[in-house]
Amino acid sequence: MNLEWVHPGLLLILGAWVLPLLKGRVKRTAMLVLPGAAMVVCWLMQPGTYGVVSFFGQELVFGRVDRLSLVFSYVFTIMAFLGMLYALHVEDDAQHVAALTYAGSALGVTFAGDFLSLYVFWELMAISSVLLVWLRRERTAVAAGFRYLLTHVFGGLVLLAGIAIYWSQTGTLAFGDLGALSGGVAWALILVAFLLNAAVPPLNAWLADAYPEATVTGAVFMTAFTTKSAVYVLIRGFAGTELLMWLGAVMAIYGVVYAVLENDARRLLAYHIISQVGYMVCGVGIGTALALNGATAHAFAHILYKALLFMGAGAVLHTTGLRKLSDMGGLYRTMPLTLGLYMIGAFAISAVPLFSGFVSKSMVVSAAGEVHSASIFLMLSLASAGTFLHTGLKLPYYMFFGRNPQPKDAVHGREPPRNMLAAMALAAAACILIGVFPGLLYRFLPNPVSYAPYNLTHITSTLGMLGFTALGFFLLLKHLDPERKLSLDTDWFFRRGATGFLALVQGPLKRFESDFVGEIYEFVIRRPVLSVARLLRGIDSIIVDGILVRAGSSIKTLSGMLRTLASGHAQHYGLIMAAGILVLLALALLAS
Amino acid sequence: MSFLQKHLEDPVRFARIRRGFYLGLIGIAVAEIVTLGFGGHGHFWFEGIPAWGSLYGLVSCIAIILVSKLIGKLWLMRREDYYEP
Repeated sequence: MNLEWVHPGLLLILGAWVLPLLKGRVKRTAMLVLPGAAMVVCWLMQPGTYGVVSFFGQELVFGRVDRLSLVFSYVFTIMAFLGMLYALHVEDDAQHVAALTYAGSALGVTFAGDFLSLYVFWELMAISSVLLVWLRRERTAVAAGFRYLLTHVFGGLVLLAGIAIYWSQTGTLAFGDLGALSGGVAWALILVAFLLNAAVPPLNAWLADAYPEATVTGAVFMTAFTTKSAVYVLIRGFAGTELLMWLGAVMAIYGVVYAVLENDARRLLAYHIISQVGYMVCGVGIGTALALNGATAHAFAHILYKALLFMGAGAVLHTTGLRKLSDMGGLYRTMPLTLGLYMIGAFAISAVPLFSGFVSKSMVVSAAGEVHSASIFLMLSLASAGTFLHTGLKLPYYMFFGRNPQPKDAVHGREPPRNMLAAMALAAAACILIGVFPGLLYRFLPNPVSYAPYNLTHITSTLGMLGFTALGFFLLLKHLDPERKLSLDTDWFFRRGATGFLALVQGPLKRFESDFVGEIYEFVIRRPVLSVARLLRGIDSIIVDGILVRAGSSIKTLSGMLRTLASGHAQHYGLIMAAGILVLLALALLAS
Repeated sequence: MSFLQKHLEDPVRFARIRRGFYLGLIGIAVAEIVTLGFGGHGHFWFEGIPAWGSLYGLVSCIAIILVSKLIGKLWLMRREDYYEP
């Protein structure tokens, strides 16, 4: 068959608009067929360059298909399928259209070979994802959505500025490795925009602010696409940028610290997205073949287990309406299936052997070992302990067990709808499959893989690390009780800092303007200008006007005199002529 | 009564689980010492410390909890309505 190339992203973005026209079972089928079809399209795609469009003399490439973009497209389409399955019971077309558009734009970014098409999908991703926040239709969600959108609009503008400078410097829009421009303005602006979407501190606040405010099903989509497409473009453009290695390691710990303090279940998980993306950013910074494979593999595994974790926390929110750990407890009695599936995700993120995180995270940590960076190695290992501590111990403990002294006060939950459980089960199966058969994932990685995660030392040291983290957790359990508090993050600067800035503008700055700047203006500009103007007006009215007025009045006098001569009566003219002739005659007679 | 309830809500069975957990920890630490070097040499000298993973796990866990809580109490944690207008 010789079909034209089909863009899987456009398939989702355009196909989404069919959903509002359908009803009932047909609609639910279409919700699964669309991402399923996109998955098949990606799967059948061969490396090459497709979808080249000429646009004002520039070549736009919508289909740069190579090993790197393919592996990301696989996991993005799998995720779109799992997300739609999880959302199958939701009777809100707007959410489905937004979610599919969001997934489609992430695929658009993945296959973009030039900056212009990348930018368009980049912005579409921000717009469609903010809808998933707003569509929860609560006051806090709307406010968080606006903060999310403003942050991403800012990031988009920074990207656009970077692209414009890049274009003017290189004369091309092709998106590839930017190492040659390292340190330049274009390089820095594009990097900042990418880092904002990857939620690298201090550009991280939007993530933990907005994700917990999104709809139950929308949040599952959000965990996958924005940060991981940012990791993809970082691998593409900034591999081996040493700064990223350090930012990534700091980021891995940053998320862990905030997770200790967090009480909102989904916000705790959101901080662990920041922590986990830290490993990927660090891998991009290390930049070796193993590290880039690790960043890619970890993105792949992360999308699946983090979606599973958000699905679990979402199931609790869906059935109990609770989002704060301090309100939960005892749910193991009524939601054992959810607990079991959640724990598979928790083991995967904690890199327990036989689960997906074990075979992906360790690639990045080993890459840090290979470049002999002890501090990076220790920071990433420390963050691993923190990951298990929160996602594997603290959150399930307080959510499903809790101290819960009186069973009759236990929160009453029930298992979520079957489609939600099915999505969780599929994600859980993927986590185990990748963990048990790492080769399934490794064969799709961009570089050839010689890494073997399963050896005795690695297994026992990982188990030791996790086991003794658990010991530390139970020893310090009383210090970990979730508190009804919020933690300041860098969103303080625009949530409270901005209020302070406005007060500064409206108070002292305004007074300074009217009292000081205003006075200076009065004396230095207004008054001198007015006196000069007065002088000029004097010159104008006395001299210029005077001359004109005099000239006018003399002409008027002259014409008055002439008017007495020109009376219009023929006898007067005749009399004057006769007088003239008499004068002439008299002159002639007297002169002769 | 589900499997979980049976094991968690019976004090005798729960004590048995707890004992198993501690024995498991000892087993892991011993296994770690025995298998040292089986996966080739580590990249750093500290990976040669006996039961390195177990030690670092425990130290990391305690450090994360204490340091984070300290930062939280002294600086970051605020009332829940802090951002309310």
